[in-house]
Amino acid sequence: MDTTTALDVSARGMEAQTTRLRVIAENLANQDTTGSSPNADPYRRKTVEFANEVDRASGVPMVAVKRVAEDQSALPLKYDPSHPAANADGYVRTPNVNAFVELMDMKEAQRSYSANLTMMQTTRSTAFRTLEMLK
Amino acid sequence: MDPDRIALFDLADQRLAWASKRETVLAQNLANADTPGWRARDVKPFDASLAEASLIPAMTDSRHMAGTSVTDLSLQTSTGEHAPDGNAVSVDAELVKVAQTDLAHAVTSDLYKAYLGMFRTAIGR
Repeated sequence: MDTTTALDVSARGMEAQTTRLRVIAENLANQDTTGSSPNADPYRRKTVEFANEVDRASGVPMVAVKRVAEDQSALPLKYDPSHPAANADGYVRTPNVNAFVELMDMKEAQRSYSANLTMMQTTRSTAFRTLEMLK
Repeated sequence: MDPDRIALFDLADQRLAWASKRETVLAQNLANADTPGWRARDVKPFDASLAEASLIPAMTDSRHMAGTSVTDLSLQTSTGEHAPDGNAVSVDAELVKVAQTDLAHAVTSDLYKAYLGMFRTAIGR
């Protein structure tokens, strides 16, 4: 039935956006996480990649998180000779997390989540109206 | 009297099928609003698919062939502009379409119920 499929599609969309929000939370929480020894890597920003996936049960394309990858951009250096992770020149490699980028991403994820939620509510009211026709 | 032979019921049936198909397609667009390469899709407008619809031939003999489906529920992909990652979904535009489809569904189901009510009155229930 199309109505339940539509509910499924929206639910999967919300699930994907929730994963995205979780990864954003990880990035924000770890924006100051450095390594504990001179050669250890600090936290690297994680990115979420969405992909389209055909649901086998209904044959309808649905969204899914394809993978959570690491952002390979350069790690900023900070001069802090007393830090345990400082190299011979006194520089510490810090995470490549930009709080502003994460916050913008968060807003976008939130907006997409709400859009899916609105869709779900509409589908539900459609389904109820169809049921009302039986009365 | 066969209810399927009544034009309004048949039309309402197609309109409701069209509305729920469209809702599924719009749900897909919204769910894929951040998927790289996803182009928004839509079903053909109902009036357009109805205008193109072939008339169902009457079957006066059991050996006659059945008519083809009346409304065309095939999907159209948007060819408008897209983001650098190839995604072409405008969340706002999709939500407007959702509202329109919901309204179309509400009107059709209300008409259906009102028409059914007339039958109820006629049979005295």
